[in-house]
Amino acid sequence: MDVAAAHVGFVFAAYALSAAVLGGLAIRTVITLKVLERKLEALEARQAPRRKAAT
Amino acid sequence: MVQSFANPTRFLRLADRLTPWAAGATAILMAVGLYLALIRAPQDYQQGETVRIMFVHVPAAWMALMVYSFMALAHGTAIVFRHPLADLAAKAAAPAGSCFTFLALATGSLWGRPMWGTWWQWGDARLTSMFVLFLLYLGYLAVWQAVSDPIRAGRIAAIVAIVGFINVPIVKFSVDWWSTLHQPASVFRMGGPTIHPSLLVPLGVMAAAYAMFFLTLWLAAMKAEILERRIHQMQIAEAGRA
Repeated sequence: MDVAAAHVGFVFAAYALSAAVLGGLAIRTVITLKVLERKLEALEARQAPRRKAAT
Repeated sequence: MVQSFANPTRFLRLADRLTPWAAGATAILMAVGLYLALIRAPQDYQQGETVRIMFVHVPAAWMALMVYSFMALAHGTAIVFRHPLADLAAKAAAPAGSCFTFLALATGSLWGRPMWGTWWQWGDARLTSMFVLFLLYLGYLAVWQAVSDPIRAGRIAAIVAIVGFINVPIVKFSVDWWSTLHQPASVFRMGGPTIHPSLLVPLGVMAAAYAMFFLTLWLAAMKAEILERRIHQMQIAEAGRA
């Protein structure tokens, strides 16, 4: 790739934007999943003693 | 086969097994694709270096259409077969689909400025129909955000996805039906691709990388949707006991 060629800034901008959007989407998805996993674990831990007491 | 994964626990087990493989395939395909696209692919004799924008623009546009078609199909499956995870499958795909559509529009605009001399052309059928697709995605996501009852939200979202699906063939064939600024199809066309293999191979690898990236994200998003539903049910049960 010739970095001194005309309009090369548009190429870099297109790749940078793609990386930012797709990277951001991936990070958001992973964070959402981790938060939900922790929330579910906390709920299960809270409900486990009650289930034990009921039996 | 589809019905066998109607059980969320079974689906989660499958997703846990598939996700690392899909993520690994994405990383490898993306690395190879970027190497081919940025280093190995030659300049175009007319477009020069800007031809490299095609390697991120075209896969994004293909994925935008494929994801929307998948969403319409998933909602159709939910309506016809009452598949319990089909609505969630469509919902989990929508954020990625909207991002692909945005990227197709934005990178297309970045290519259009040096090549056509304009960022945007409202009179162009492909650009306008693609923008309509982006609005459909936003509307679809807004339905899930606005309606708190998931069953009702699923029904309204299904209407948006299935009715909006009419726009998918319009986007695909807009360049054949109307002779406007956007160039006609050069890969998926009768008579085979018109692109030279030195540009077609990187494009194919990047398209495969985008598809695997979508699969990875969709599996993770599906898992998140199932966990969210489980949490919601547990909270209702807890409130009932209190």
